[in-house]
Formats: sequence, C-alpha cells, structure tokens
Amino acid sequence: MDEEPERAKRWEGGYERTWEVLKEDESGSLKATVEEILFQSKRKRVIESHGQVRLGMMRHLHVVIDCSRSMEDQDLKPNRLTSTLKLLETFVDEYFDQNPISQLGLITTKNKRAEKLTDLAGNPKKHAAALKKAVDTVCLGEPSIYNSLNLAIQTLKHMPGHTSREILIILSSLTTCDPANICELIKTLKSLKVRVSVIGLSAEVRVCTVLTRETGGSYHVILDESHFKELLMLHVKPPPASSSSECSLIRMGFPQHTIASLTDQDAKPSFTASGVAPGLSLGGYFCPQCHAKYTELPVECKVCGLTLVSAPHLARSFHHLFPLQAFIESPVEEFQEDRFCQACQGELKDKSIFTCPSCRSVFCVECDLFIHDLLHCCPCCIHSQSAP
Amino acid sequence: MKDVAFIELKTTGHGVLEMPSGTGKTISLLSLIVAYQKAFPLEVTKLIYCSRTVPEIEKVVEELRKLMEFYSKQTGESNNFLALALSSRKNLCIHPEVSALRFGKEVDGKCHSLTASYIRAQRHSTPDVPVCRFYEEFDAVGRQVPLPAGIYNLDDLKDFGRRKGWCPYYLILHANIVVYSYHYLLDPKIADLVSKELAKNSVVVFDEAHNIDNVCIDSMSVNITRRTLDRCHTNVDTLQNTIQKIKETDAAKLKMEYRRLVEGLKEANVARETDVYLANPVLPDEILKEAVPGNIRTAEHFVGFLKRFLEYLKSRLRVQHVVQESAPQFLKDIFDKVCIDRKPLRSVSATLSYFYSFTIIIEPFEDRTPTIANPVLHFSCMDPSIAIKPVFQRFQSVIITSGTLSPLDIYPRILDFRPVTMASFTMTLARTCLCPLVCNYPQTHTFKNTLTLTLVDSVIRNYGNLLLEMSAIVPDGIVAFFTSYVYMENIVASWYEQGILENIQRNKLIFIETPDAAETSMALEKYQEACENGRGAILLSVARGKVSEGIDFVHHFGRAVIMFGVPYVYTQSRILKARLEYLRDQFQIRENDFLTFDAMRHAAQCVGRAIRGKTDYGLMIFADKRYARADKRGKLPRWIQEHINDGSLNLTVDEAVQLSKHFLRQMAQPFRQEDQLGLSLLTLEQLESEEMLQKIAKIAHQT
Repeated sequence: MDEEPERAKRWEGGYERTWEVLKEDESGSLKATVEEILFQSKRKRVIESHGQVRLGMMRHLHVVIDCSRSMEDQDLKPNRLTSTLKLLETFVDEYFDQNPISQLGLITTKNKRAEKLTDLAGNPKKHAAALKKAVDTVCLGEPSIYNSLNLAIQTLKHMPGHTSREILIILSSLTTCDPANICELIKTLKSLKVRVSVIGLSAEVRVCTVLTRETGGSYHVILDESHFKELLMLHVKPPPASSSSECSLIRMGFPQHTIASLTDQDAKPSFTASGVAPGLSLGGYFCPQCHAKYTELPVECKVCGLTLVSAPHLARSFHHLFPLQAFIESPVEEFQEDRFCQACQGELKDKSIFTCPSCRSVFCVECDLFIHDLLHCCPCCIHSQSAP
Repeated sequence: MKDVAFIELKTTGHGVLEMPSGTGKTISLLSLIVAYQKAFPLEVTKLIYCSRTVPEIEKVVEELRKLMEFYSKQTGESNNFLALALSSRKNLCIHPEVSALRFGKEVDGKCHSLTASYIRAQRHSTPDVPVCRFYEEFDAVGRQVPLPAGIYNLDDLKDFGRRKGWCPYYLILHANIVVYSYHYLLDPKIADLVSKELAKNSVVVFDEAHNIDNVCIDSMSVNITRRTLDRCHTNVDTLQNTIQKIKETDAAKLKMEYRRLVEGLKEANVARETDVYLANPVLPDEILKEAVPGNIRTAEHFVGFLKRFLEYLKSRLRVQHVVQESAPQFLKDIFDKVCIDRKPLRSVSATLSYFYSFTIIIEPFEDRTPTIANPVLHFSCMDPSIAIKPVFQRFQSVIITSGTLSPLDIYPRILDFRPVTMASFTMTLARTCLCPLVCNYPQTHTFKNTLTLTLVDSVIRNYGNLLLEMSAIVPDGIVAFFTSYVYMENIVASWYEQGILENIQRNKLIFIETPDAAETSMALEKYQEACENGRGAILLSVARGKVSEGIDFVHHFGRAVIMFGVPYVYTQSRILKARLEYLRDQFQIRENDFLTFDAMRHAAQCVGRAIRGKTDYGLMIFADKRYARADKRGKLPRWIQEHINDGSLNLTVDEAVQLSKHFLRQMAQPFRQEDQLGLSLLTLEQLESEEMLQKIAKIAHQT
C-alpha cells in the first residue's frame, strides 16, 4: 500500500533509469550494484541480531521530527512530512507492541527551535493522536539539532540508569542552525550514555555521522519510501545495552484488572491517577503497593513509582532475549528434495535456500525474513512440538 | 601500474603516469622503487622524490615511514635506508634568532650573514663576529659522519640537528631517498646549491606534476618592476662605496677578491667536465671557456657596466606603450643606446645564450588599471624544456606523475623528451563514487574577450539557480569554481541584486576566495568549521587560484564541485600570446589545442579536489555546454571520462538535481571494507589467483 502512490505517478518520480539496474557489467568487477550490497546487509542484520547480547529492554526513546522547510520536498509522496508522520504512526504502534515496558516522546524542530509534541509516555494512543494532528504543521525555516537534543536531554537525564536512553532524529534538512558548538553537546550526550541515531531523508551530513559515531547510535540515509520504513523498523528492536550501564533488579507490579459490575452496590466510581481520559470510572488496575488506580498499562505509578505491567507485556518482549536461530544459507543446487518452501509452498527459484538448524525445514528468502522479523519462531518446529 | 613502471626502470628511460589521487600513487611508486633499489643496489642508487608543497612533502615521508616499517616487520631485519625531506632554511633553521624571522628571504639573508666563508674567515682574526654555532659544529664534526639510517621528516631533521648541535640545513645528503620541492631540481639558482652532487643513476619522480611546464617557465623567467630597479640602484651604489673604501685601504686584496669571483666561473667549467655536477642550464660550457671580456675585468669597470645597464633598463621602463621584442632585438638595442656588447652581458647573465626561447615584454601598465602607470619588464622564458632538460639528460629515469595529466602525449612534447612509457590508470571501484554531470549552459562569452565581459543576464541567473538547487540537496561543503576573479565578482554582484545570494544563504553559508592569501586562508578555515558542525557552506573560488591547486576537500569538505565555465587562461596576456606563438613555431602545437589542454587540466584539477580516495565520494558538475564536446571531454583524465556517459550530458538544472539526489542517497548507504574486498582491495590469496593475474595483465595492456 505504501508504494501505491509512487508507482501510480511514475512521471513524477524523476529519472529513475531502471535499465541501469539490469545492465550487466562487462568485466563484472567495476561496478557492484548498491542493491546487492544492501541485500547482503539485510541478511547480515538478521544474522547479527541473533547473538546472545544483553539488551536494553526498558527504553526511553525521544523521536525528533524535523519540520523544517525541506520537509515540503515532494520526493516522498505526497511530501516528506506527511509520509514521515504516516510511517511514524506505524512505528509507534510497532514500538509499543515489541517494547511494552518502554516509553516514547515526540519532539519537533523547525525555525531554529525545538518543541515538545508529547512527553515521554508509554501510551501509543496519545502519540498517534499527536502525530495525526501534526500533519497540518507548516514547515518553516531550518531545524536545530542542538536545541532538540538539549530538550531531549532535559527529560532523559532523569531516567534511571538501567534503562536505555535513546534519541532518534529524522532529519530532512542538510543544515542545522545551532546556538552553540554542537561538539560540546555530543560530549555531554556521551557522558550521559544517550544513544543518538539519525535517519537522513536526503544525504549524509557530517555532523550526524560524528554524532552517531560518538554516541554509539546508527546513521542511515533512505533510498526511497520502502527503505525508509525498513530503516525505521530497525529501531523497533531494542538495542544492545552498553556493558557499562547499571543493572539492577527492578520491582514491578502486576495489577489485576478489577471490573466492578454495575450490579455491585458497593462499587463507587473513583478518580484515576493518570490516563488518557482522567475522570471518574468504575473499574481499573490498582497498584498492588499503594492502590492507586490506572486505566491502562504499562505505566509507572504516580504515587509510589512502581512499574506496573501485565504479564503478556513482558512475554511479548521475551523473544528479543531468546531469538530464533539464524537459518543456514546454502545454494539451491545442493538441495536434492522437492524444491518447495515449507512455509509458503512456493517453488524455490532463488539462488540460495535457508534451512532451519533444528528441524531441517527449508525456506525461501522471503519466508526466512518473515519468520525472523515477525514470527520469531520456526513454524515447522512449533508444528512438531505441538504434536504430542 | 607496477608492470609499467618496472619496464621503465629496467630500460632506464623516462615515463609519464596518470593515476587518480588518493589511490595510493605515492606508496606504490615508493614501494616499487625501493624494492628495485634493494634488488639492484648498483643500478639505482638514489630516489629523488619531488613534490610541490611542504605538507605534500611531509605526506610522502609519512608514507615512506610506513613502508619501511612494513619492510622491517616482514623481513625482520632493520634496513639501512636513509630518507630525508628537504625544505628551505625557513622551515629547517634551528638557530634561535634566525628561525624567529618570518619571511624566507630574511632567514636566508641572516643565515648567509652568519655562515658565509668571508664572515667565518673574519672570525679567525676578530673573534667577536657572530657566527652560527650549529654550522660551525657541523663543519667541524658533522661533515664526515653520515646520518644514521632511518626516515627523517623536517621535524626529525630539526630534532636531530638540535641534539647533535648541527645545522640541519647543511646535513649532507648521503641519503638513499630525498624528498623535496621541485625548485631544488628545476630552478637553476637553487639547483646549483642543492642538487648538483646527485648521482647519475638516480630515479627522479615529479609528483603532482600537471603544472610542471609552468614551474619550469617560472623558474627561468624574471619580472622587473621599477621598484626592483630602484633597489638595484642602491645596491650598486653600496658596492661602489665599498670598493672605494677598500681601494683606499687595500688595493691588492681587492684585486684578488675580484679575480676569484671571475675565475669562479671557470672553475665551474672544470668541475662539470669531470661530471661531478648537475649541468646548470643557464651557464653553457662554451661561455665558460671564453675569456672574461675586458670591460668587466676590473672592479670599477664592472660597477660602471652595471650602472649603465641599470640606466638602460630604467629608460626602457619609461615607455608609454607595450613593447614586445625578442632577445636579439633587445641586445641590439642595448648596444645602440648604451654601447654594451653582447659578450660581457653573456658572461654576467648567461641566460641570454638561449635567447631564441626568450621574449622581452615591457608593459607600461596593468591591463586592469590602464590609468595607473606600473611598468613591468617581463623577461619571459617560452620553452619549459630548457629548465628540465638537464634533469632528463642527467638522470637515468624520470617519472612524471599526477592525478590529472591528460592528454598524456602533450607533456613529452612540450617538455621535449622521449618517454618509454605513458600510462593512465583508472580507479577500480567497489561503488561508483564520482558523478560527473555536464549541464547545458550555453557559452557565456567567447573566450577571446574574457576581460570585456559580456555576460548574459539569463545565464547568470541560471548559474545562480543551479547553485541554489545544489545548495539545497548537497550536504556539508560545496566548492564552486569560476574562471577568473573578475568574472566571479561580476556574477556574485548580480546574484546579490537578483536576490539569489540571500536564498542560497538560507541553505548554506557563503565564503569567497580573494587574491589576498591571509583572507583566503581565513575563509577556508571558517568554511571547514561550517562543514564540520553541520551548518554547511559554499566556497566560491577561482580556477588556477590557491584553492584549486593546493587544497584538498576530503569527504564532507567537498561533496560537490561546480565548475562554472571553462577555465581558459587569460588569452590577452602578451606573455601567453608570445608563448603560444613559440609553441606553434617550435613544437607544432596549435594554439587552440594548447589552450584547451590547459583549460581542461585546470578543470580536472579543480573537480579532482573533491575525491581524495576510494571511500570518498563527490559530485562533479561542469556547468558549461562546451564540456560535452568531444574535444573537451577527450582531454579529461580517463578516470573521470570513464564515468561520463550520455545520460550525464546536457542536463537541465532539474535533471541534474534528480541525478544528484539519487547519487547522494546511494553514496550515503553504509560502505564497509569487506564490500571492497575482491574488487578494489585484494587479499594475498586473491592477488595470487590465476584469474586476478589475468585481469591485471589485461588492464596493463589496455594502457
């Protein structure tokens, strides 16, 4: 769906020169197509992420959205801002889906200033609403990386040491208008152990390279909209925690949802301590420690500071810790049996096939990616296990 | 690469090599020659590596140091190579008072006044005359003791000098590898001092040699202004006074001094016959053999002679119109006016013996300011081969190399030598990291009248739009080159009026190169700062200026280079006209060919600033239709030409923007070393594999 508008209006897409992709290189050496490099890095990512590393599961992420003049550029359809916000909506959903015990905040920067769109919070709805509203923003002036980082630090630095502090900047402009030397700020970020990652919408900017390298983040530049989405989704997975970060046992509360039925005469509506719609309501989650009432989870108790989650939340972030093993890649010629993918039942046409190391089932590239990115478990293994 | 250079070493001939910068040109040449030197220590005794600027010299020494470390690590034995970097006294002096002086000339003068033989002789009689203790120490002990083997850059030399108390400048070169500036080999005034004792079977490498013909010509040419003459006058006066004074005190001694001075010329001749010295092109043998003419044999006559000559030059400078004459005409005129014969002049300044290659041009004023009288006498050399001839004759192998030497065949022609090999190498890249684009701007003006600019308004606006669009899509630094300062001033002024500058400044800061060196280096510094902290900047500069020649814009300092127009040399200059005429008559090079060649090598030099290695990337935008023509395109270096295809020719601004955007995004994708493996980076196994050997052989054959 995302690619629909772009495909529909090809004449607006500029000079794509698709024939160049097809062109064989005479000597076979001089030009390696960037696509190939990209594919390899994609595979590598799947493999890389499967080491046993400590992950920063409790994340505090500030997303900085550039709303400068350059966001009006129409190379992403309909323009960069709309496209970005739309992708961010799915990102926010995905983020909370995969990191239920994490928080997220939104910051916009334009006209040399930075503004907070939403505070750090664990509720996807609020962010989604804010993002929807932001579509109408007028894009003005230059962004200021310095100001936005500064604003993000204000809240991030008070976060406990065992959580991972992250900033993700989506930068469309190639320039930044800063009130002071950004190098100083980078040092501060480094000392505060804030990871800054950047997704560039137009080209590689030096200061971002330095910023991300120093703070241990990643820096990517998009090729087109689908690549943009892919890069954004990279940030859904929790990053490996730096070894120096504190580790501590965290007290968590698992409140039961008590539903007060209307027939119950004793039920009294009560105020919620916080939530999307503060006001009187009947049922809710009660903090096991202080009995403050909340309508939604996960949340940090406003009264006693206890982290309140539900068991399914924790379970959902569980797969990050015990990821599915990478499938073994081998050329298709060596494979003797029927050439069908065990998952999609399609014929194996690509050069290489992928074998699950535990159940020896064979998959195609697409299914391999699908299994690792979404399912997080091998369908054939599950099948054989559930038999008894 | 290695094959070709190897052939050349074996056959002891001269060669021309073109290789894109940043691809390890220096290191491959160095390693090859050092290896050869190790294998055949008798055939090649010395490597002389000439580069242009002090930083470049330092870079070469660093490369050499790495190479030597690698050698000793691989073979396990310490090698006995001695490599030295040489520079002027200004950079090498360690005398506390002298080195504090700021200008090269002052340092030279002061040093001379402390170390000259007559001063030191005086000290024997009167011990309170100041001398340089470093030199004394060196003279006493250092002369016989060679330097311990190793690699010395300028700072190392200074350190060594300080430790031992020897003057580093005078450390005699028993080195296997010497790294220094062109001038030490080409400029007759300096070459005589430094390079004359170099052995015949040395290998000489001229790096960054795309401008070597101009260096040759500059080293042989003299400009005389009224100020020079005035100073000259006072000097002659002092000389006369001194002579008078000495005459009163010690007539005999004076005679002796003078005889020695004249006979010095003869001695030089004797020395040359025994083939000890590098032949000085300005003092041909036959002149030395001639007796010193009578009218300059005694001191008074000599002074009188000088005075007359000076007066003559002064009178010539008083002209109101431009005069151009050949050297014989000039001599005839001298004879008529002040009765100075050719012969004594020849003995004094023997350059005249090549007089067919020289032209004298007297201009009463500068072209730009026709109202202000500022007479200049250009005594200009037309033939670059004169200065370099002794180098080619004396040394067994001379290699001329640079990133931009295309078309290769023209260099042997203008420098008058027979190369054994000529080769142009391209880059083998894992990704296409350069993107040359030719925009379809019409020719703004015919190159015949660069000064009376008839700039079309719409073209200026178009240029402005291109820069504006580019400033919005190219990250960090952009360097834009104009063809001349006047041209740049005019264009920038009208951009200002049209409000284009204001728009550009929203995207990037603008810096401008000026003829003032201090101002320019300030602008450069700020430019780099702006690129560093993400603000982004544009540097407007001039082809053939300081920026286009010596300064590299690595990585983010130059993501795009825009070349506005074709940088033809100012064709109205009389010196150039004379030179073109000479080239046509002597070498059968058509004027147009030479002009295009010269323009294209400068254009290539300018755009080449952006790419300094395989991990670097940059856009190269030629904003002039003429670059699309075959005669211009064909003269670009092969490594640029290779990437110009029909799709990147004759683009409008929009098309250029689309292509650049795409290119910049592609280049911003992560690029790791292992991606290069097998393509532009080889492991030992890959290098030794049969397939790769065949491929290398194929590439070598193509060249």
